[in-house]
Amino acid sequence: MSIMKKVQNLDTRIIYLLAWLFVLFPLISPLGLPIPISNDARNWYNYVENEVNDGDTVIFSLMYGTSGMPELFPMSVATMKHILEKDVKIVVVTFWVEGPLVFDTLIGQVDPADYGKVYGEDWINLGYIPGQETAIGSLATSFQNTVANDYVEGRPLSSFPIMDDIKSANDVDLIISFETGTPGAPEWLRQWNTAYGVPIIVGCIGVSVPGMIPYINSGQMAALMPGLTVSAEYEVLLSKPGLAVAGVDAVSTSHLLVVLLVIIGNIAYFMTKEDEK
Amino acid sequence: MSNALKRIEIPIALTIIATLLQVIPYYLDIAPVKNAADQMQTVVLIIVACATFVGVISILQVHGKKIQRKSEGWEYSIIVVLGTAVMALTGLPLAEFGLGTNNAIFNYIFTNAMTPLGGTMYSIIAFFITSAAFRAFRAKNIESSIVLVAGTIMVMGNAPLFTNALPVLADISLWIREVPNMATMRGVMIGAALGAIALAVRTLMGIERGYLRGGGEE
Repeated sequence: MSIMKKVQNLDTRIIYLLAWLFVLFPLISPLGLPIPISNDARNWYNYVENEVNDGDTVIFSLMYGTSGMPELFPMSVATMKHILEKDVKIVVVTFWVEGPLVFDTLIGQVDPADYGKVYGEDWINLGYIPGQETAIGSLATSFQNTVANDYVEGRPLSSFPIMDDIKSANDVDLIISFETGTPGAPEWLRQWNTAYGVPIIVGCIGVSVPGMIPYINSGQMAALMPGLTVSAEYEVLLSKPGLAVAGVDAVSTSHLLVVLLVIIGNIAYFMTKEDEK
Repeated sequence: MSNALKRIEIPIALTIIATLLQVIPYYLDIAPVKNAADQMQTVVLIIVACATFVGVISILQVHGKKIQRKSEGWEYSIIVVLGTAVMALTGLPLAEFGLGTNNAIFNYIFTNAMTPLGGTMYSIIAFFITSAAFRAFRAKNIESSIVLVAGTIMVMGNAPLFTNALPVLADISLWIREVPNMATMRGVMIGAALGAIALAVRTLMGIERGYLRGGGEE
């Protein structure tokens, strides 16, 4: 068998080993490549910076479990830091069973108390609500009828001052949702945006991006954070380099490997094709 | 009486009532219907919450049998059963007994087992995609060449390493994302929505009975 034929049928284990090395190398020894700012990152930053006003109520929703953390956690942390700098009321809620635990991890890195936010007055955590789209619709109709107690202290919602003015979707000014699948943006859009006109911005994993684009173009979704690279750009815009900036070099090198393999694979294909003729 | 309860019209009627109760308040503001719809949503939430326990019982039944019969991979079933039992017990919402999501054991397993394992499961995709790109992106004909070029540009357009050197790559990948991709996705979404509407109408009219009696046979 010729060398090119061997290259064309390269053992999968070698490809896996190369992928591992190309991801590992920049994590051990960061390349510090410059990060150009895309329109997606700028739109997200501008929306949170300019459209979220003092006194607004924001829903902050982590619609993912541990498997989504490598890509979505950095943008969740960065956005939380951004909105905590503003004088807004934050309602944390999730419709994913692991969501509260992911948020607990987030709180370990971004404590609202460090920003002068008081639990129950400036922010509240409603935890996980089972029921997928039905639960999302129900929350829009009535917070108090959908959630009996908060997640942190287990007290009735009516006992928290923050909930005095938050009864339904009509009292919410923005939804910030980070998600890996269903329930996610389409459910929020159907139950909150179309029905009540609540704006929504969505952070999603890279593979979900093609499905999100029609919502951005139609104006239903105000901004989109598509994947780790754009979250690194957002961190740069915020001047708060974090997990995404640390990981974006690995994105570059892993993508470099894919391009190199595609080129090598095609060269091998055409050379063996000539031999076969 | 028992025969009357077996009549297929009953579940169909319940389906129609439940569906209309959710659809009508979405378009019309009729207070009694809206109140009934809200009540029904609450009932659904309670049922879903109760279903969690069914899930736990199901896991214990399936893996319990595997362990009992020592079927292939039964050793892993022990880990599943132990993991389920420990997380379920330590995570019970009984803060006065030191249980709940603040429990030390619960937190330790979540932080040191679930989080890295979940991340690993997702990260494995990177290996598969690299291997798949190597084998699938071959310029064998015009169609595969289009996929090869579009895919490679999308890959390059998402990596600062390439967009720093060739900023035009970001513009081209953006165009691919927002023009051909969006047109295709719109088609898919509109098609799926029309299909869902057709299915809903058929269900409401009692024509679609696939969800009844494993096929709706009388």
